[in-house]
Amino acid sequence: MSSENQDFNKSKAFLIDMTKCTGCRGCQVACKQWNQLGAEKTEFFTGEGYQNPPLMSEYTFTRIKFRDYEKNGQNEFAFYKEMCMHCNEPACASVCPVGAFKKTKEGPVTYDAERCIGCRFCMVACPFGVPKYEWSKALPLVRKCTGCYSRVKEGLKPACATTCVSAITYGNREEMIKEANKRIAARPEKYLKKLYGSEEAGGTSVIYLTALPFDELGFKPVTKRPLPSYTWQALRLVPGIFLTVGSSLSLLSWFNHRKERIAKEEEQRKSGATPKEES
Amino acid sequence: MTAAKIIVNEIKGYHRFVKFLIVLVSLGALASLARFVFGLGVTTNLNDTFPWGLWISFDVVTAVPLAAGAFTLGAIVHCFHIKKLEPLVRPAIVTGFLGYSLVCVGLLLDLGQPQRCWHTMVYWNPHSPMFEVSMCIAAYTTVLFLEFLSPVCEKFGYHVPLRLLRTIEMPLVVAAASISTLHQSSLGTFFLIAVDKLHSLWYNPLLPLLFWLSAMCAGISIIIVEATMSHKYMGQPDESELLETLAKILPWVITVYLTVKVFSLVALTQGPLFNRPGLLVLFAVEVVCGVLLPLVMLMNGNVRENNRLRATAAWLVIAGVILNRFNVSMFGMEAPGTFYYPSFLESVVTIGIIAAHILFFVLIAKYFPIFEHHPETVDYTIPDHFHKTEKGHAHGAAKA
Repeated sequence: MSSENQDFNKSKAFLIDMTKCTGCRGCQVACKQWNQLGAEKTEFFTGEGYQNPPLMSEYTFTRIKFRDYEKNGQNEFAFYKEMCMHCNEPACASVCPVGAFKKTKEGPVTYDAERCIGCRFCMVACPFGVPKYEWSKALPLVRKCTGCYSRVKEGLKPACATTCVSAITYGNREEMIKEANKRIAARPEKYLKKLYGSEEAGGTSVIYLTALPFDELGFKPVTKRPLPSYTWQALRLVPGIFLTVGSSLSLLSWFNHRKERIAKEEEQRKSGATPKEES
Repeated sequence: MTAAKIIVNEIKGYHRFVKFLIVLVSLGALASLARFVFGLGVTTNLNDTFPWGLWISFDVVTAVPLAAGAFTLGAIVHCFHIKKLEPLVRPAIVTGFLGYSLVCVGLLLDLGQPQRCWHTMVYWNPHSPMFEVSMCIAAYTTVLFLEFLSPVCEKFGYHVPLRLLRTIEMPLVVAAASISTLHQSSLGTFFLIAVDKLHSLWYNPLLPLLFWLSAMCAGISIIIVEATMSHKYMGQPDESELLETLAKILPWVITVYLTVKVFSLVALTQGPLFNRPGLLVLFAVEVVCGVLLPLVMLMNGNVRENNRLRATAAWLVIAGVILNRFNVSMFGMEAPGTFYYPSFLESVVTIGIIAAHILFFVLIAKYFPIFEHHPETVDYTIPDHFHKTEKGHAHGAAKA
């Protein structure tokens, strides 16, 4: 889990301006190169549209999703860069029984393959469907975008942000949100007047600017509350419940047994039999 | 005659049904071997859309409440002191012990890295319901194992451990109930994180409480079904009188469960309830056939006295709980337009696990004193150190 009082304003974040994306997929290639991910044999139009590979997978940590739509009677493309959102309070980190996920102070949510037991709870918990599994292996592990933590730690930008010529900005989260709002204010006709990621799942380290409504691009509608709080409101009661149930049952049985013993003794006293003869 | 020959001859003498179970278990074992040779992706229908399938939904999420009979009955008999139900405790403990051991087997098959299962004991994450459940399951399987040791020691006449086990019996019963309360409910907490995934027919903040209450319903019902069947098919003693008492307790628990369920559905649910007709049907079947119908049946004295009807009502409760767990962990989690069904291998493994449960139960009942337990010969009273009555009597009574 992340430290409780982390200042997320100072952690690094991606600002991804989808209106500036040209769909070149340089980020996909850079990601594969840096993370040394294998190629996937794919065919066009096996997914929802033009995008290739059709889905994120153990070999693909990020991909550009294509959506065609009509503008002024012309066919246009809109894009959506799918990747790990690096939540401020990640669901994956909270549900992992061995704490394999960690929100670093730099921003990226990292994954420790040495700890993972492969239970796939992170995949069930992630509201964005990010963690993927090595289904091809006999003893599989989870794979996901690392936010290029190894680069960020050393003061470099993530591979995809380095490659991208136009759409991805990388910097302090606070500044990225400020910059996003500035762009909306400067070109209100161009942008949707909402940011995706500033509040989603309690705030993420990836902030999106788009022209089209989020749901049309394939963004998932996600609660604004940090996900770990949903389970914690039940889990925090665990020690209390354990002690309450344990102590009340102990007391109850002690009283009941005592009652029985006293009744037995009364009986013995009445019958006048000495206990020693009985035993 | 060699040992192997004795075993073969013994097996030859078994009933045809038991031999059939042995075949099913062997097939399941072969199938689980295939999972490790060929990998999860090839042998199961799991993928990135459906990371959890039949093995989690049945072998873990459903099997745990089905094994809840041991802790429920233990608490009823020893803590609430309804002593006459005691003969039912041992079969319930055997069922619980087998159930939990097989949950562990199912879990190990499903884990990507089963050789690292000890990691949960080392790298603690108290924010994870999975961490809590795995700790509880490990602790409770140990408790059940210790409770199960009693008939084993009796069989072989080990008197010293038997006396020790009897001393810790009450603490074990209390520990069993407390630990079970935690992990039965925490299985519900699993799905609290699936905020925008689990359909609102089942998603509400009281899910853990509902899981705990329905687990007790399932536990009591399993005891009724099991005792009825072992009387009918295994020639074990007739416990109908005791089952009647249990059947009197059951509707109370169901009523509490139903009340909480209705309350949470009406007051605490956010989001649309009627937008998925398929799920609505599943929900209706679960509540009507699995909760309301058995509740109405069990409130009727004639049903409780009739062996067959009582068992039917118990079966309905069990079916209701099974459907509930599948609704929560599988059907309700599926996004519209997606559908998961278990692969052939997954099914064979799960069938093998169910068969193993029945097989081991039959074999244990055959070789160990499970049903021939005479509790009236045993004094379970706790030594009373705070005793205020006459000294001589007190010591005498404790020894008697």
